[in-house]
Amino acid sequence: MSENLLTVGRSVPPIYGIEKATGALCFPADVTLPGMLWMKILRSPHAHARILEVDATAAHKMKGVAAILTHRDVPRVLFGPYQNEIYALEEELRFVGDTVAAVAAEDWNIAEEAVRALRVKYEVLPAIHDAEAGTQSGAPDAIVDYPDPLSIKPGDIRADQLATFGNIIGLKEGGPTVANRRGDVEAGFQQSDVLVERVFRQSEVNAVSHEPRACVAIYEDGKCTLWCSVQDPYRLQDGAARVLGLPMANVRVVATNLGGAFGVKVTGRFAILCALLARDTGRPVKIWFSREEESIDSHNRSALTHYVRAGAKKDGSLTAIQVRTFLDNGYWPFGGLGQNIGFAICTRPVDLYHRCPNVNWEVFVVRTNRPSTGPYRGRADAESHFPVESVMDELAQKIAMDPIEFRLKNRLRQGDDLCSAPKKIVSTVWLEEAARSGAAAIDWQRRAALRASHSGARKRGMGMAMVIHSCGSNPAGTSEAEVAIDSEGRIALFSGTADQGSEQQTTLRQMVAEVFGVALDDVGGANADTSTCPFDSGPFSSRTVYATGIAACRAAETAKSKLLECASLVLNTAAKDLETGNKFVWLRGDRSKRLSLRDVAAHAGGSIRGHGIHRPNEDPLFAYGFAAAFAEVEVDIETGEVKVIRLVSSHDVGRAINPMIVEGQILGGAAQGLGYALTEGFCFDQRTGTALNQWFLDLRTPSILDIPDIEPVIVELGEPTHPFGAKGCSEISYVGVAPAIANAICHATGARVTELPMTPDVVLKALREAKRTGA
Amino acid sequence: MDAQEIHDITLMINGKVHQVSVDSNWTLNDVLRNRLGLTGTKRACDYGGCGSCTVLMDGLDVYSCSILAMEAAGKEILTIEGLGTGENLHPLQKSFALSYAAQCGWCTPGMIMSAKALLDREPNPTEQAVRVALSGVLCRCTGYTSIIQAVLGAARVMRGDS
Repeated sequence: MSENLLTVGRSVPPIYGIEKATGALCFPADVTLPGMLWMKILRSPHAHARILEVDATAAHKMKGVAAILTHRDVPRVLFGPYQNEIYALEEELRFVGDTVAAVAAEDWNIAEEAVRALRVKYEVLPAIHDAEAGTQSGAPDAIVDYPDPLSIKPGDIRADQLATFGNIIGLKEGGPTVANRRGDVEAGFQQSDVLVERVFRQSEVNAVSHEPRACVAIYEDGKCTLWCSVQDPYRLQDGAARVLGLPMANVRVVATNLGGAFGVKVTGRFAILCALLARDTGRPVKIWFSREEESIDSHNRSALTHYVRAGAKKDGSLTAIQVRTFLDNGYWPFGGLGQNIGFAICTRPVDLYHRCPNVNWEVFVVRTNRPSTGPYRGRADAESHFPVESVMDELAQKIAMDPIEFRLKNRLRQGDDLCSAPKKIVSTVWLEEAARSGAAAIDWQRRAALRASHSGARKRGMGMAMVIHSCGSNPAGTSEAEVAIDSEGRIALFSGTADQGSEQQTTLRQMVAEVFGVALDDVGGANADTSTCPFDSGPFSSRTVYATGIAACRAAETAKSKLLECASLVLNTAAKDLETGNKFVWLRGDRSKRLSLRDVAAHAGGSIRGHGIHRPNEDPLFAYGFAAAFAEVEVDIETGEVKVIRLVSSHDVGRAINPMIVEGQILGGAAQGLGYALTEGFCFDQRTGTALNQWFLDLRTPSILDIPDIEPVIVELGEPTHPFGAKGCSEISYVGVAPAIANAICHATGARVTELPMTPDVVLKALREAKRTGA
Repeated sequence: MDAQEIHDITLMINGKVHQVSVDSNWTLNDVLRNRLGLTGTKRACDYGGCGSCTVLMDGLDVYSCSILAMEAAGKEILTIEGLGTGENLHPLQKSFALSYAAQCGWCTPGMIMSAKALLDREPNPTEQAVRVALSGVLCRCTGYTSIIQAVLGAARVMRGDS
């Protein structure tokens, strides 16, 4: 990174910082309009039921009730965030909390009372509360009425490939499992010197965005505007337009700033119902979720069970990995990208350990009568790395090899082909560099002495995990961007991505500013407003800095070449001899021959615009992010309590466009990963399917008192497929924390913890098991 | 259904007097956000579980979701809007804004108001004192490190140390 850059690589303050710190920033939940009605949802008390009758007589009579929608009142038009597969309201209810009906009233109290006044007769149906049980023969259907896969318009997955096998969502070709097979695992186990066999269980967790979902809708003269907490405003625009029967041009969605999202704030019934109520009443309508609603009417990280076997030779070569995974898809017909998550689960860790010749990993994606599950920060990899990285550690221990060296011996290398991105090869792999830097930061050399030095009830240990995760080079999704220079010479970036807290607009504008050689302050713009910004599939999978970044740089280069062409006419020279800088266009080598951007723009007779696009699959090279997480823990073997003393989170980020933001994302991801590791996890009543801990204090996200010393480490060795060499890193920082802590616990105590979250009771169970087996 | 009583109360918010009619079950948070348009004060749970709705009441940091509007009558309320504006930032706001201590920004107003209450009573807090004082406000984005640094940085500025 030797070039002399103006803003790229600098920790400039984020553009929305002041508005966030003054409370001036307007989130969807902050939109208040004159004459606005409040909407509330009646939610299902049953895990699985059919609505026989909704009697709204009493609710309609209440003073201040403006409109009520039941399943009989909404258009039979499918929509959805991933593919079009749900209706605004349905007769069949599929989890405790499913949407039964919606009310709009003069204020929130009246709306709530009206919801309570609705009298509903339900026919209760048998329910599925566990993914594995849902695959048994004779299990009842978790969903009875669902659209034919062929009738749904696919988003990311190909509908014509889908098939269902009882409750299992599978593929027509390949059957009920998503599988990744190569070589012969039985032969691989024969060749192995050591073998590990374990069952891992992970609890369902919620993203816990602090802004509960909100939507404000207005409908006037056949046009609808929605301010909505969604990361996919263009999907909502499409869905709302089709349900309302409007052309897409008549629907505008604004999602400029969101109070956290983490992948799960996507198009949903709440927004479509809000739009329908605005149309029916002719007044603005607002819905704002309670915390309980935000917890259950979301897309959570799935509960999982993994049955794992893995073998290795004494020299450290992996010989075979065999896994059978059961993934709880929740109540959506296909939803939650279950198929794509299944595919990523069974391919990405196998890519990470590319040298392993024999693999058989099967994933069963199972419909249940539980909240929907879907892509939450670190999707698929947080799901898969806990078992894989735990087993890698155990194999290394069995052959008495350093866990870092064992992993590095089997790892992916630059130019390797990828089973997670067929027909592609990996562009750069700075995994070893990340691992070595992280090891130095935590002083891995102390590891043996650390354990020996704590011999009482409180044991110390150190563990690590390696991670592969999307850095934005996603096979799904398209990003567009537009860069405009107005007649005053001001530069603006228009991008379809919401800022959910990662301040990507800052990072994107830094890149645009760099293309023009101006300061960040000289680039303005707008984001995530479908009426002014070009399409973007949204800030998912850490894709904005990478994919939208490529589109933004292309848009800037196009606008810049138009600018130079225009200047070349005035300066009477060839465009190729001109360059930009400091808000001027000047002759390369003779800066006295120059025009200000403003003068060039004035000559252009209007705005200069450049459009850029990044399409999936446009490059045979595929960029991945890599990381190594390190944890030092203290385990109280009498109480089972785990105290994390230190975390080091080391990342291959290609290049940090804004190191302060990159470090902030790494720190935040590590803290969330800490919650996944130690405290978070839904408990459901197994008989009724009711979530028991959907309230903040019971969700047990880490507080300021729970956070250990966390050190972010940034490895910047570039990425040739991105104009500034950047890889996204907001998600990957979550993934390695839980397995690194589990491995540290094992190093400290000899006990292998195989469940998440690793609460004291779970740790005590593992300690007893270790004692029993003499580990 | 119980008939709710309507009360006319006087609220002193950010140095201004507001006459409002409130239902007896309305919280201070309801009134700030939905009646007075002071949406800088957030709400993430509505039952005292997260602290994003924190405001100062007679100098004390309180959860506005857990204070009835009627309880706040006659008390001095300070919200994030009264602390400073884009042109005239409070050192805490400046510190949070410049150091990426506000990621999504939803907990930020509550976090800053809680920090203000701390610095008013303890201008030179230790890191541990900052942690304890802010432990009533949860953040999901930052991992808290940048928040602690921002508060300590603002404290230094306010003391004139930097």
